[in-house]
Amino acid sequence: MYKNYLKIAWRSIKGDKLFTFIKVGGFAMGIAACLLIALFINDELSYDQQYKNKDRIYRVVLQGVMDGELRKSVHFQLPFADALQSDFPEIEKAGKINMSELFGAGKRGLRLAGESQNNFEDGFVFANQNILEILEISLEQGNTNEALLQPGNIVISKSKSDKYFPHGEALGKTIVLDNNTSKPYTITGVMPDFPKNSHLKFNFLLPIEDTNMSWTNQNYFTYVLVDENTDIPALEKKMFSIMENYVIPAQMARGRAPDFIEILKTIEYKLQPIGDIHLRSDLAMGDGLKHGDIRFVWLFGAIAGFVLLLACINFINLSTAKSANRAKEVGLRKTVGAFKSNLVAQFLTESVFFSIISFMLGLMLAWALLPAFNSIAAKSILFPWEVWWFVPLMVASALFIGILAGMYPAFYLSAFRPVSVLKGSLSVGSKSGKLRSGLVVFQFATSVILIIGTLIIYKQMDYIQHKELGYNKEQVVILDGANILGNKSESFKEQLLQLPQVQTVTISDYLPIDGAKRNGNTFKKTGEGIEDRGVPAQIWRVDYDYIKTLGIKVKEGRDFSREFASDSINSMIINDQMAHELGYDNPIGKHINNGMDWAIVGVVKDFHFKSLKEDIAPLSLVIANNDSGAISVKLKSGNIGESLASIEAIWNRNVPNQTFAYSFLDQKFSQMHEDVERMGKIFNSFAMFAILVACLGLFALSAFMVEQRKKEISIRLVLGAPFESIYKLLTLDFLKLILLAILIAIPIGWYMMNRWLEDFAYKINIGWEIFFVAGGIALIIAVVTISYQSIGAALTKPLKSLRTE
Amino acid sequence: MLLKLNNIFKWVNSGGQRVFLLKDINLSVEEGEFISVMGPSGSGKSTLLNVIGMLDNFDEGEYSFLDEPVHTLKEKHRANLYKQYIGFVFQSYHLLDDLTVQENLEMPLLYKKVGSSERKSLVADTLDRFNIVGKKDLFPAQLSGGQQQLVGIARALISSPKLILADEPTGNLNSKQGEEIMELFKQLNSEGVTIIQVTHSEKNATYGSRIINLLDGRKI
Ligand SMILES: Nc1ncnc2c1ncn2[C@@H]1O[C@H](COP(=O)(O)OP(=O)(O)O)[C@@H](O)[C@H]1O
Ligand SMILES: [Mg+2]
Repeated sequence: MYKNYLKIAWRSIKGDKLFTFIKVGGFAMGIAACLLIALFINDELSYDQQYKNKDRIYRVVLQGVMDGELRKSVHFQLPFADALQSDFPEIEKAGKINMSELFGAGKRGLRLAGESQNNFEDGFVFANQNILEILEISLEQGNTNEALLQPGNIVISKSKSDKYFPHGEALGKTIVLDNNTSKPYTITGVMPDFPKNSHLKFNFLLPIEDTNMSWTNQNYFTYVLVDENTDIPALEKKMFSIMENYVIPAQMARGRAPDFIEILKTIEYKLQPIGDIHLRSDLAMGDGLKHGDIRFVWLFGAIAGFVLLLACINFINLSTAKSANRAKEVGLRKTVGAFKSNLVAQFLTESVFFSIISFMLGLMLAWALLPAFNSIAAKSILFPWEVWWFVPLMVASALFIGILAGMYPAFYLSAFRPVSVLKGSLSVGSKSGKLRSGLVVFQFATSVILIIGTLIIYKQMDYIQHKELGYNKEQVVILDGANILGNKSESFKEQLLQLPQVQTVTISDYLPIDGAKRNGNTFKKTGEGIEDRGVPAQIWRVDYDYIKTLGIKVKEGRDFSREFASDSINSMIINDQMAHELGYDNPIGKHINNGMDWAIVGVVKDFHFKSLKEDIAPLSLVIANNDSGAISVKLKSGNIGESLASIEAIWNRNVPNQTFAYSFLDQKFSQMHEDVERMGKIFNSFAMFAILVACLGLFALSAFMVEQRKKEISIRLVLGAPFESIYKLLTLDFLKLILLAILIAIPIGWYMMNRWLEDFAYKINIGWEIFFVAGGIALIIAVVTISYQSIGAALTKPLKSLRTE
Repeated sequence: MLLKLNNIFKWVNSGGQRVFLLKDINLSVEEGEFISVMGPSGSGKSTLLNVIGMLDNFDEGEYSFLDEPVHTLKEKHRANLYKQYIGFVFQSYHLLDDLTVQENLEMPLLYKKVGSSERKSLVADTLDRFNIVGKKDLFPAQLSGGQQQLVGIARALISSPKLILADEPTGNLNSKQGEEIMELFKQLNSEGVTIIQVTHSEKNATYGSRIINLLDGRKI
């Protein structure tokens, strides 16, 4: 019997290839999209889940309201972790990590003792021994219990060990950082590489050598391991004693204003579970790490749900739609003695058969698209074939949806009375008309929302790329690892300036991009008393050519100049925002103080030195000779490759033992917004999927409707209906639905994308034109899709469908 | 002369073989004739009617309609020709289920872009003439078979065609209803409309002025 059912199923495929293609193909596409999103979400949720004690590991976060704004921070004082561990018995261990470039974290030049070739490496941090234990780092070589105890120790990752010591002989070897032979490091451990899905990823762990036990300097991320069954909210409350016992006294000793102390009293310490860090950290925490975003997980989950729902509905709908044409078959079968149960079994078999085929295709499609998806999402997700539940889950889903999809037509059709079917008095189309209309509206509303999202994300990305930044990011090459030049850097700069292609050169690690050096401090107006709370601001150490090289605009006063001897001592240039926060209308000549006295000689126009998600903060520039790791070279327009070759030649002459490494300022700027771009691309590709599925649905629905009305169309044609009238007849009905869908979608899309844009301090306005374009695109897609059917119908020869009567 | 068929052949290829549906049909029809086409089932009666109605093509021969050589005309031109001069009546009526009687009648006029007032008066006249004024707001499903066919004929006539092609117009009707339809045809014919009908009934055939017998696609 089943063989017979399958035979019929097979024939119905062959009989109506287009319909089957849409039914199976659309469903498969939905399954593939859903699967890819599920894999993505699964990967996002897997961050930092690898720890045995993951429910007991927390990162400390500080939060408080300042000037009416919720401020957060993950940076704490050097003694903070030790105080936590000694003051609170429920805190088993507290560890600290310093990722600040000011201290020498980040990029360093590395070479093995006895060799001359320096290698430029990234991923250095300072961490204490407790970190190894809290993060459950168990060394592959070396003693985990003491690897970071002594100054001069270094723990390196397995991949770096493999790179420098291919025979596994790393332990005990000496390495030199940044040419500093007076302070070599001994490898005391080789740790496994951090997994891809860890919010922390380091290659080199150095012991903390900072000895400044001040309670007013915050440079350390603090992680704690608490006892089992600790009452976290209670512990968080108790932790306020740290503020009372250590921080506030220290700040008062420093002479901070009473209202600042009042603010400190409102501050709370929070413990953020390590598993939450990747998806639930907000920008305000300022941890400088690349994070996911739980809202995107929800958003993509919703898209996946929608796509799958659309695909399922289309599948069910097409199964029913087609079944109307098989009413005759049902009637005949019944008259020759089929029982209802036979027919139900037949339809179910058929639908399960199609569902399984769709799932297989969907799996294959997802599998084929995974590499492309990985490159868009910057992930390395593997297809979970070998996960034990994966294949059974797919089979179960295929059966479930197959049965669900078959259920409706099975019971609906098998309930037909044969007489009415055979007499042809059955009109299936109009009955379920409302349902189908609802479906079209739902599908297209979803599509239009996604199109609106796509357009707005695209516009915002474009806005970011073309935003007037307040500095000129074009034609600037950044040479990395330049601290190796040491005191030769000035002469290196002079040599570069001899090149005809070079316009200006500046030596400074402080650049308006992620990963560059930062240094925050608080400035008070000189002469004002203890009431002045001060303005927190960046203080950047630059040279005389910094402003010229980056094309920053001097608004008032002057640029630094060698003609003023004081410039190398106490002159300061501030940005507009800082002048504003200091409350100076005319800041030139004013003095401010951060423990050192500075005279303001110039004001520059605000420039963006953080991502456009953040407001421009107060910033000051001072002249300082620093052994900078970065040298920025502004090139004249011309052949970049040639210019780089000339620069490299000079580099090699000065630094024979370290390879030339460089990047471009504009690329670094783009990288700062990579996360936005990536989310945008993922969103867009899934939106495409959803729209495609919706189109297939519409295509099939219009095909179905034309099929339903074939007889009517023929009669109209015989009675003299011209082409246009038939075309209009079939198209207008759908267009009304599409317009309705657009109307529904606009407010939802507007609301959603406004929420998204809230993330950005600098953003586009959502104008009406976006909705026009989105609606227009949806309309065009719909008209093209429907026209294929209506034109076909309007051009048919009427005879075909009339003759059969 | 209304129309003339010369050596018309129509065939289909089936399994590499040529199967003739119409074989060497010669026929001329004068205006005002009432012709009955007869023959066993499958003998090609409907095919012949469709060829005459220009709903179907033929493979060989010549066909002129009102001195227009149909076989050389473009599809569109041909469609205009039949829309203007020919009315069709079907065995299964082919009324549009979603439209009322009045709207069904009005449809061909809409397609001919007849003005609204003229349309109204034509529909009113027709309803009156066929005695179905009382039924004008009913839907086809609310009518008996005979009444439906009446509406079908009324619709075929409303744009005053020269020729009515009726394929077994009484096939789905009982004998009394059939007789009424035949009487109607006779009357229309006497008013000058040319009629070609397909029928299985000897009795209905006698309403016509001439009988054409078909067998296996050939006129006998
Ligand atoms: N398009 C076609 N292809 C193949 N055979 C056809 C086609 N149209 C009609 N026939 C065949 O031609 C013959 C004549 O059909 P038809 O004119 O409908 O007969 P009648 O109306 O006299 O019963 C039948 O045998 C029918 O099966
Ligand atoms: Mg016939």
